[in-house]
Amino acid sequence: MIRLEHVTKIYGDTLAVDDLSLEVNEGEVCVLIGPSGCGKTSTLRMVNRLIEPTSGRILVNGKDIRQVRPERLRQSIGYAIQSVGLFPHLTVGANIATVPELLHWEKSRIARRVEELLELVGLDPKEYAQKYPSQLSGGEAQRIGVARALAADPPILLMDEPFGAVDPLTRERLQAQFSSIQQELKKTVILVTHDLDEAIRLADRIAVMSAGKLVQYDTPEAILSRPASKFVHDFVGADRALKRLSRISIQGFVHPSPSIGVNATLSEAMAALQSHRSAWVVDHQGQLLGWVDQTTLSAAASVREAIVAQDVTEISLSSSATLREALSRMLGQGFKSIPVVDENRRLIGEVTLSDVEAATAEAEA
Amino acid sequence: MIRQLVTRDSVAVTGSIIGLASLPLGWLTLKSSRLAAGTSLSLWQVVGWDGTMVMLGLWLIALTLSLTKKTKWQAISLGISANVILIITLALAGFESSRMLEAEETFARVSPSAGIWVTLIASYILVFAARQGLQEAPAWRHLVSWTGLAAIGIMLAIGWLDSLSLVQEFSGREARFQQELVRHISLFAGSVTVGTLIGVPLGIWAVRSRRAEKPIFYLANITQTIPSLALFGLVIAPLSALSFAFPFLREIGIRGVGPAPAFIALVIYSLLPIVRNTFVGLRQLDPAVIDAGLGMGMSRAQVFRRIEAPLAAPLVLEGVRTASVQSVGLTTVAALIGAGGLGWFVFQGLGQAATDLILLGAIPIIGLALVVDTVMRTLVRLSTPKGLGGGEP
Ligand SMILES: Nc1ncnc2c1ncn2[C@@H]1O[C@H](COP(=O)(O)OP(=O)(O)OP(=O)(O)O)[C@@H](O)[C@H]1O
Ligand SMILES: [Mg+2]
Repeated sequence: MIRLEHVTKIYGDTLAVDDLSLEVNEGEVCVLIGPSGCGKTSTLRMVNRLIEPTSGRILVNGKDIRQVRPERLRQSIGYAIQSVGLFPHLTVGANIATVPELLHWEKSRIARRVEELLELVGLDPKEYAQKYPSQLSGGEAQRIGVARALAADPPILLMDEPFGAVDPLTRERLQAQFSSIQQELKKTVILVTHDLDEAIRLADRIAVMSAGKLVQYDTPEAILSRPASKFVHDFVGADRALKRLSRISIQGFVHPSPSIGVNATLSEAMAALQSHRSAWVVDHQGQLLGWVDQTTLSAAASVREAIVAQDVTEISLSSSATLREALSRMLGQGFKSIPVVDENRRLIGEVTLSDVEAATAEAEA
Repeated sequence: MIRQLVTRDSVAVTGSIIGLASLPLGWLTLKSSRLAAGTSLSLWQVVGWDGTMVMLGLWLIALTLSLTKKTKWQAISLGISANVILIITLALAGFESSRMLEAEETFARVSPSAGIWVTLIASYILVFAARQGLQEAPAWRHLVSWTGLAAIGIMLAIGWLDSLSLVQEFSGREARFQQELVRHISLFAGSVTVGTLIGVPLGIWAVRSRRAEKPIFYLANITQTIPSLALFGLVIAPLSALSFAFPFLREIGIRGVGPAPAFIALVIYSLLPIVRNTFVGLRQLDPAVIDAGLGMGMSRAQVFRRIEAPLAAPLVLEGVRTASVQSVGLTTVAALIGAGGLGWFVFQGLGQAATDLILLGAIPIIGLALVVDTVMRTLVRLSTPKGLGGGEP
């Protein structure tokens, strides 16, 4: 879908991009990562001809982009820039409508599209469409920036640190939102970041750059387990085993867990605890309430009284979580296993520490 | 507690004190002829002690209001008293001057002296202070601002002030006044229009091209450092040379002296504020915003029309405002090289030592400057996009 062939960019006497070749397949998220000044933005901006390569060529859909008028090309490629760059004199709605207006869409169609996109990025259209950029928080502005880039439904998205300027918590939320949007829309995306966790989270493939050169281009798993050079090895860092866990969903590791109904008798409960040190307690709908062990049970008059009730959302995971999150919960709670619940907080099963260990060993091999 | 009371509204307090200080000054000057030296009459000589007490009382009310806590009603009362003072002063001046003239010879003149002028200034300081307190109440603000002026207009129209020498100077020269007023307005408005048509593109050019930026600002800055009369002079020489070389130029009115060189000099003067503000207006734009526009597929022209122009417009218009107000004043000097305009009265008056004639030019010039300033400020406000905090809290 996007193909860079021996692309070089020289500014004056700065070699910004050095003989870079890269191919991004349709529907894939390619994340460009590397230290500041390594040429990520320059690479991105050559794809929509905001700058021209000094040599080499770039193909989009098999066509050399030099044969496409820059305005045409850019209207078909969504672009979210690092500093957001919302037009301060236009409302959020008008900002999002920029490209559809350039394409002369009908007014009613534009209005519908604006509403749709605001909903997509999780902002209430009624409240936000009429706001001005100066009235938005950093995270809201970045979401509008992404919505604006998506407005004319371009098949390709270029995103330059789209979640750069927000706090870690908001960033994580925006990343999750991006993932789910991407799952639905299947755009071809080149995303620039210098946050490795973000790259691991979002990328189908990561392109690691250094001093204008592409030093490794592979899946996150491969980059983490088989760094191609000392540079990549150092760049991904000593905790890459941990980072790798965040690529692995817990889904394959969930197994049935011992559970006790809250209305069970003490002796039923004791019987269930014969083979386990502790068990999860659920109510009659199967919703997780907490856990019991032999010590708490023996001191109590009923199962309900024996429950060690904690904030259930803190001890449990959803099935879309990663092994890294599972490990982090285990360490945080001091548990050897963590319950997994569905969206209605009903217990599905559990993930254990030995699963995490096994997964680590497997990836290491 | 006194301190708390006293620091309420320093502008209004200043105005009231200036107003009180006007009371012992000379009020009207009686001259046996237009150019003769006159005798100055004080307020109590003109209106007697009871009239003086009324004025004193009004100013004391204003002072008290200035010292009270600022509220909407305080501002309204202050504004109303200022207007009452203004109207009473002029009404008395008109009435007493015609009474005095009845007893005098035909050539005698009565003109307002320092006391009246100071009173007018002081009452407008109060109006200004009251306006500040009425930002939220536009209807009252307009009432307070314009009632006095409207009253002056009415008194002039019904001939109430006809016995004042200033008005007599005017009635003797009504046609001339109209001609010079029109000349003044067309000189300043025309030169600023041409200055805008040249200055805005120059400013855009300076932003776009590193090479052009330096020389453009070098020249624009130099023009502002040349004293106005010298610049008028500088334009005269090449223009006369041209008009001698090409006689047809003289036939269409372009000569070394007259409106043509004045117009050129005024255009040159208006350039700097316009070029500078256009430059700053475009340069201060967030590059990311322009980048976003281009990245979204706008053409260069669309970026200019949809993004740069609306965002820079308030600053550009602010430059045009500065140039306009400056030009209204400079056009006065243009009279010296035969360009006409209200400056003609000023310099005639200076030559004849006729104060009233000077004022006949100076007062409309000040008025014109204020009107132009107000109109342009409104334009600047209207052109400020809502999202930029213009009008938004
Ligand atoms: N317009 C320009 N003129 C001259 N040099 C430039 C220009 N743009 C970028 N460079 C240089 O090219 C190199 C690569 O810049 P680029 O912006 O692509 O880096 P980056 O990887 O995006 O960095 P960052 O992570 O800091 O955004 C840098 O050394 C930079 O100084
Ligand atoms: Mg960059």
